[in-house]
Amino acid sequence: MRQVEIFNLTKSYPNPYGETFRAVVDFNLNIEKGEFVGLIGHSGCGKSTVLTMLAGLNEISDGGIIVGDSEITGAGPDRAVVFQSPCLMPWMTAFGNVMLGVNNVYPHATKAQRKQIAEYALCAVGLADSMNKRPTEMSGGMQQRVGIARAIALKPTVLLLDEPFGRLDSLTRMELQDVILEILDREKITTVLVSHDVDEVVFLCDRVVMMTNGPAATIGEILSIDFERPRERTSMMKDPLYYQCLDHLLSYLTERAHLRTDPRIHDSSNLLGFTGAKVETAK
Amino acid sequence: MSAKYTILKGIDIAGLNFLSPVVRLATGEEPAKQMKEIGRLIVIPTLAFLAFFWLWAVVAPKHRTKSGEVPTPSVVWDARAGIWRFHNYETAKQDGFLLQGKERETELARATARIAEVGMLEKIARQQLTAAREASTVKFDTTVAPAKNAYDTLREISRESRKGRTAALKAEAATLNTATEEARLAFLQKLRDTQARTEIDKLELAKLKDRYEEAQEITFPEVKDATRANTVLAEEKQFLVKYIDMLGKDSRELKLAAAKTKLKETRTSFLTATEGDLYRLGSGIIKNEKFIKTTASSKYAKPWTLPKQIVRSLLCVFAGFLLASAIAIPIGILCGLSATFMAAMTPFIALFKPVSPLVWLPIIMIIIGGFMPDPENNAFLMFFDKVPFIKNYKIDPMFLSSAVTVALCSLWATLVNTALGVGAVDKDHMNVARVLRLGFWSRLFKIVIPTALPLIFAGLRISLGVGWMVLVAAEILSTSEGIGKFVNDMYTNGSSESFAQMFVVVFIVGIIGMLLDRIMVVFQRLVSFDSAVPAG
Ligand SMILES: Nc1ncnc2c1ncn2[C@@H]1O[C@H](COP(=O)(O)OP(=O)(O)OP(=O)(O)O)[C@@H](O)[C@H]1O
Ligand SMILES: [Mg+2]
Repeated sequence: MRQVEIFNLTKSYPNPYGETFRAVVDFNLNIEKGEFVGLIGHSGCGKSTVLTMLAGLNEISDGGIIVGDSEITGAGPDRAVVFQSPCLMPWMTAFGNVMLGVNNVYPHATKAQRKQIAEYALCAVGLADSMNKRPTEMSGGMQQRVGIARAIALKPTVLLLDEPFGRLDSLTRMELQDVILEILDREKITTVLVSHDVDEVVFLCDRVVMMTNGPAATIGEILSIDFERPRERTSMMKDPLYYQCLDHLLSYLTERAHLRTDPRIHDSSNLLGFTGAKVETAK
Repeated sequence: MSAKYTILKGIDIAGLNFLSPVVRLATGEEPAKQMKEIGRLIVIPTLAFLAFFWLWAVVAPKHRTKSGEVPTPSVVWDARAGIWRFHNYETAKQDGFLLQGKERETELARATARIAEVGMLEKIARQQLTAAREASTVKFDTTVAPAKNAYDTLREISRESRKGRTAALKAEAATLNTATEEARLAFLQKLRDTQARTEIDKLELAKLKDRYEEAQEITFPEVKDATRANTVLAEEKQFLVKYIDMLGKDSRELKLAAAKTKLKETRTSFLTATEGDLYRLGSGIIKNEKFIKTTASSKYAKPWTLPKQIVRSLLCVFAGFLLASAIAIPIGILCGLSATFMAAMTPFIALFKPVSPLVWLPIIMIIIGGFMPDPENNAFLMFFDKVPFIKNYKIDPMFLSSAVTVALCSLWATLVNTALGVGAVDKDHMNVARVLRLGFWSRLFKIVIPTALPLIFAGLRISLGVGWMVLVAAEILSTSEGIGKFVNDMYTNGSSESFAQMFVVVFIVGIIGMLLDRIMVVFQRLVSFDSAVPAG
């Protein structure tokens, strides 16, 4: 079942001289219900732009986005976002930060029910013991966990992650990747992850969307990662397919990201790596 | 957390950073470093203060004014005691007037015993004063008289010799009719020398004159001290005389008792009186009953003393500050939220912010006067007469005018800071609010105001400081009872004692202002989530 449909999505920013700067052009993508889609590309290509438009935080210049069965018009709790920085309210505890959204999204639930939802979300990210801590008393990793808890407590139809682990050290990042996987295996929420860490997207995603370089960035290739769920890091890392996928993504980023072709679809049957693969030149 | 860190945290929040090396030293943490810190934060400031006092003590007496010389620190310290004595005497009278029965009698006995004692002390003090005066005359004669003699003698001598020289030169000039050019030039030189000599004499004379005047100016600390001791005792005696009256024949209890006896007598005569006296006695009874009623609730009309004036000033500044906050915070929030509203407010802020309280006050006095043509029977003012505590401080139009002036001058800092704080809301937090679809009020109370709170408090802190400064000026101008009124009274009084009391006010105003600022710093720190607030 199709959950998200992005068609001809275009974003142009006005520059200070009155001309328009086209950051993203003709971005077309369909996302299935429960699917985990990764979005990678070089810095500045427009990944965040696409994601914020999907979140409704950034105006759409042309094209449109349909979530469920209606076109989006603005931000809303059905599309929860986890930002790169945790964006917690420093004057509220972890619990308070989660409750802020819960109170608003479940206005008809009783107080006890709302409390239960928030506590459940915090337990899911492993913060059962730190609910009453303030952000200033928490490490960056813990703060990001609160950010994730705040998002999943909203029971969103789509979960949007914009480099949520970008500022964390690699150990914490792996921990949080496991946390996310665990939650998604249970809740089956449609998810879009922006990242420039190829390991991360291969490990987490069902499909990886590779964006061409900006300006006027669009989709270059799409790669399906054919691993079963639930996934387990160590066994995945023993599989040669894992490295072939990594190679494909890296070779895209280093060799093909500047090319303008129609989007190419790849899966385990037609992977391109650093070696052996012939690349067609641009039209 | 250990007790030590709790204490250190408290010190940090209160902004009393100079205490933290003391605490650290007491717990033996890096003694050398702490000693250095103590030197910087405690010893140096203390030394600076001592240097200031020393300079003050040296420089002040050099300047004479119509209210005597500028008071030195010790004179100011005595003036403080004088203010306090006056307050205590007046409070004692107020309380004494209401004492009853046994208590009144013991207090009366105590006061009577004390007055005898004071009489004795006064006698001694007077003797000491006489002795000091005599000693000072002797000293005066031994220092001033010789200086005067020396001056007078030299003046006489130099005048005589000048006369002689002039005469000699004139005589010589008469002989020069036929003299050669050389002889004439030699004479001119002689003339020059003589005049130079006169100049030297003049300088010498001026030196002696200075010495003489200096000797005259020597003040005699013994005489001063003795005079002061006398004054203090005289003051106490004067108080005790009045106090004994209030405990005795003028006390409310005795007055009431006398009136009641009289009432009883008149009543008895009234009941048996004949027609001629009936009218007179009857109205006498009614008059007496009225008198008893008023006396029963009468109080000693205590004059305003500085401590009470300080409390009234504090009430006034808080009234103004609350008014300012009530206006500035909501408007500031609106300014921060809406650029349009900000644009509308900017000209007002720019225009009214620089206006001096001295301009606002008369205008406001007239406006408030217009609202309260009859302050004695004004419902709004009468409301305050029922509020406990506040009713003792006579809320009148002057008080309201001063408070409104304080508000008008101090609200700008809070307004501008609130607008800044609200405008500085994190864009990411706003995005979170959009995703969560928070309504206007939750955005306001859960995100906007908490973000702006540290800056709002920074503004309030400035406002309170400005308000306190403005208040004294406003009170001086409006003669509203308070610190300003005290200064004004002292200024009008013009004695050297009241001159010194004005200096006391400088310190009182300074210390209270400092305490108010400290309190605001604590609040400001409590609402700040991360960054430290500068304590200065
Ligand atoms: N508000 C804006 N106004 C003008 N140009 C913008 C604005 N936001 C982004 N851009 C431009 O749009 C392009 C895409 O930016 P975007 O933030 O989406 O990149 P990104 O892929 O998320 O990069 P990164 O990986 O560094 O986060 C960039 O060239 C950027 O300069
Ligand atoms: Mg980005």
